[in-house]
Amino acid sequence: MNADSTNPENKSKDETKKPEDAPKKLDLQNLDLSVEKVEERISPSETNVFDK
Amino acid sequence: MSDFPITLIFPPQAHFTQPYMGLACLKAWLQEHGFDDVEQVDASVQSYDHFLSADYLRWAVRRAEARGDLEQLATKDELPFADMDTFRTAAEVAVSGHVLAERVEGAKAVLRGQDFFDPAKYVPAARTLFHSLRIVSAAWAPTKLTPHNFTMAYSIDRSNEVLAATRDEDQNPYLDYFRTELLPAIVKRNPRVLGMSIIYGSQLIPALTLGRLVKEALPDCHITAGGGFLAYIGEKILKAPALSESLDSIVFHEGEKPLEELCRAVREGTDFKHIASLGYFTKNDQGETVGIKNIGGHPISLNEAPMPDFDGTPFDSYFSPEVVLAYDVNRGCYYGECSFCTLPTVIGPGYRTRAAETIAGHVKAMREKYGFSNFNFITDCLPPGMIRELPEELISQGSDIKWWCDARVEPRAYTKQGAERLYESGCRKLLFGFETAVPRLLKLMKKGQTPKRTLEVANNCNDAGISVTFYAMVGFPSETREEARETLAMLQENAAGTIGPNGKSGPLREVSLQTFHVDEVAEVFRDPTTYGVELLPDPAADLQLYHDFNANAGMSQLEASEMFDEIMAGLRQSLPLFHEDTFFYFTQKSHYFLHLASGHSPDEFIEHCKRRGVARQDELARTASGDALLDLEVVPLTGTCAIPFSYAEVTRRLAHPLARAARPDFLTGTYIPDLELRAAEGIGPVPSNPQKKLVLAYSPGSTEFVELSKDGEAVLDALRDSGSYGKLLQALGQPGGPERERLDHFVLGLHRAGLLFVPEHQLTAL
Repeated sequence: MNADSTNPENKSKDETKKPEDAPKKLDLQNLDLSVEKVEERISPSETNVFDK
Repeated sequence: MSDFPITLIFPPQAHFTQPYMGLACLKAWLQEHGFDDVEQVDASVQSYDHFLSADYLRWAVRRAEARGDLEQLATKDELPFADMDTFRTAAEVAVSGHVLAERVEGAKAVLRGQDFFDPAKYVPAARTLFHSLRIVSAAWAPTKLTPHNFTMAYSIDRSNEVLAATRDEDQNPYLDYFRTELLPAIVKRNPRVLGMSIIYGSQLIPALTLGRLVKEALPDCHITAGGGFLAYIGEKILKAPALSESLDSIVFHEGEKPLEELCRAVREGTDFKHIASLGYFTKNDQGETVGIKNIGGHPISLNEAPMPDFDGTPFDSYFSPEVVLAYDVNRGCYYGECSFCTLPTVIGPGYRTRAAETIAGHVKAMREKYGFSNFNFITDCLPPGMIRELPEELISQGSDIKWWCDARVEPRAYTKQGAERLYESGCRKLLFGFETAVPRLLKLMKKGQTPKRTLEVANNCNDAGISVTFYAMVGFPSETREEARETLAMLQENAAGTIGPNGKSGPLREVSLQTFHVDEVAEVFRDPTTYGVELLPDPAADLQLYHDFNANAGMSQLEASEMFDEIMAGLRQSLPLFHEDTFFYFTQKSHYFLHLASGHSPDEFIEHCKRRGVARQDELARTASGDALLDLEVVPLTGTCAIPFSYAEVTRRLAHPLARAARPDFLTGTYIPDLELRAAEGIGPVPSNPQKKLVLAYSPGSTEFVELSKDGEAVLDALRDSGSYGKLLQALGQPGGPERERLDHFVLGLHRAGLLFVPEHQLTAL
């Protein structure tokens, strides 16, 4: 299944390629390997005091 | 079908966790008074169920993507504030839309089944529904539908905008929903009277949308509406004749008697002049549409009123594994002094109650009739006599229920012994109006209570096993930052799990925090000078309920909004129920209650939630120590998407109080134009960074959004293609030294962020 079939930049892959296809070339010395988990936003509208 | 069918509708948007009571009360009353064909429809939960479906989400993704927002924004050098929400929404659609469509039905099944009670299943499911509503919203942008709110780019305090919203085919999701799903059934039934109950501002536009469609389809059907929100603004609606496109009449305050008389008048073709508590549109001598409001009527004798009739309620549609039935033990407030509160006014004059014996008999009968043993007692507060009598009656009649309700601090009634009897009668949660720890403000609020006594009551209830919630307020006129921090400190000192000077854990489980608003019925509105407030008039806002103000002393409204964030951040540290994503239980009040009702004590529930965190920490520790590191795999269906700006940075900026103030407020639903400009200036644009190509990832298992670089995506792809980290290393020729260290570090980061998992741990499965 593709996240966006019209945009090659977007992808969602659950299919697994054969091991011999992997890996792509990785320049391990110069990779930018940052990871930022974005904090869940919970605004006042998610905590309506009158709600159930 | 009878010759006089009546349809009562609870319009969107309102809570999806439990049935609404008002319609059941009206249905029971009408049936007892000669109208035997009364249908009730919870259009709110039905529309949520419809929107939160795989097919609808797929359609929503297509509609949102067809706008091409992400591609257009990618051409910009910087992202201005005005485009930030559009960017965030488009990025979320691109990366999570399709996978949410795959997961949404499973998420609903979790909330409706026994998996609800497993936090490892519940939390991702709840987050999946929250995120899915963002996809629904994206289809109708800038409209926002959340579990607790519905807002459009139209102000609900201007009748011309409300009317325009009811006609907006591009941004109003309910036009299409009503036409295809609800209207055909209404037309088939052809009711003579259609009544809608509007208790939240978020229901106004959808209700008037439906009213207009029904009037067009069934010109002879009389459309009426009532409910708490219209008790506030109904008179203003009557002064806006254009809204007669959607409504014929308005029922004020308590609905039973005026609705009965209205139905009789429609059936018999008599006029409405003598129906107390009714307002209606009619033509004057010049042929112009005008609104007329009749005098208010007397409340009914509540104790004589029938038991609510929930027949026909779509019990299976609610997003809860067990239904919590609502029941009104009393109406109005016996205290009625608090200077900020106007809630008692919405249900009509005076305080009236059912007898404890009647209440116990009704809930027992409802439990036997419907098979549900969980109740939410609808009340502003129980008076001291009732706090003592009700448990005795519930116990002696063998009601065998679990219940929760709002409460006022009554130290003479919530004694140790009193609290124990409440627990024995099934009480599992009470919500008290604490408001503030500052005696000066309590006096100004006319609360008639002290923090010391409130804490005594809270301790008694907590010791008895009842979960205690405090309502608290920030930004009451003249409140200073220091005073707000004093309140935060007291709440933190008394949080459950925080050991006090007496060596005991605090009694407080939850805090329901609200920023102060001035509404038109409040004493602060009538007497602003006493409260040091200058109200800011807005003549164009002909349906206005809430008013902006300048305070002569203390915090401004914006500062109060900033303080809201500070207090919530403090509470999320101190209250175990607010820790991390356990917070989702708090956002759905009934859901936490259902755990208590199922037999967990509040402490056991927290331990239950913590176990999920501990299991997660164990897994992280195992991979960090190298044990399971090589086993890590990419979570199936994890998606990625190239983004032109930093999603993380945009999300941070949109969380700024200025940004929040510039969006529709959750209570007022208003846009304030100059705040949009101030926010744009204060927050500033987000620059693009062509050197650092960014990628957004979404993991359906952990339901987290994660920002990576393009390089990071390449490694993620390679990991996925290889099958596991171990296999990737093998394929890379087992790199060593600093390269391996960097890779390990990155992979552990992906694991912490929820994009990777150890296959033997099925934490990610919904």
